[in-house]
Amino acid sequence: MTDVSPPRRGRLDRRFAAIGGAGGLLSGLLGVGGGVVMVPLLVLRAGYRQREAHAMSLGAIIPISLASVVTYGVAGEVRVGYALALAVGSVFGARVGAGVLARIQERPLKIAFGLFLGAVSILLVTR
Amino acid sequence: MTGVVLYASLVGFGFFTGGAAGLLGVGGGIMMVPFLTLVAGVSQHAAQATSLLVVLPTAVVATIVLHRRGVGDPALALRFGAIGAVGGVVGALLALALPGQLLRLIFAAFLLVVAVRLVRDGVTSR
Repeated sequence: MTDVSPPRRGRLDRRFAAIGGAGGLLSGLLGVGGGVVMVPLLVLRAGYRQREAHAMSLGAIIPISLASVVTYGVAGEVRVGYALALAVGSVFGARVGAGVLARIQERPLKIAFGLFLGAVSILLVTR
Repeated sequence: MTGVVLYASLVGFGFFTGGAAGLLGVGGGIMMVPFLTLVAGVSQHAAQATSLLVVLPTAVVATIVLHRRGVGDPALALRFGAIGAVGGVVGALLALALPGQLLRLIFAAFLLVVAVRLVRDGVTSR
């Protein structure tokens, strides 16, 4: 779908760094998670396969959410009990979801992510 | 919704968002925030802060699972994300100075274009 060659494995070149910065900038600006921004950029601008883009996005979310948690945590807004209940379910869900991601075909993954993005765009307009 | 029922539904909904997050490569905040505000009656700001605390362990677990299966490059992803975190702080500051609603509409249009392209590629590619 793209004629851009993927970056060499393990290298954080300038274009790649620009995508990371732009992804963070847009997510901070729009109040959406980094993944919604980074996955399309990695696929369309960096020539990543869908699966690899999802894995890269999940890893990148770790420092991004950590920085945001520190910012919000200082404000004392976190409902710890609710967060714990959600997290108990979410970490088990993440094992299942990531397990599926590791073996799903490229085509259904593209369609699933495309439908998810479509739903997000509607949510952004209606909220 | 209150008490045990609320906590049970939070665990159940967490399982659903965690599964979607692990598959789709996102944190899941976009699904959790509406749930927290509408079902748990939490304010928008508190819902965003709370969902971030869930996103962190979700992304860690998904990244570990994928690494064990030989998918991805966690060391590169962490550095990539560190740059993103800096961008996020700049973006949050810029958001205070720019028209948020207009930006959101432009971004929604962009997402819709990408969504159509991905679904079309998924359907037509071999």
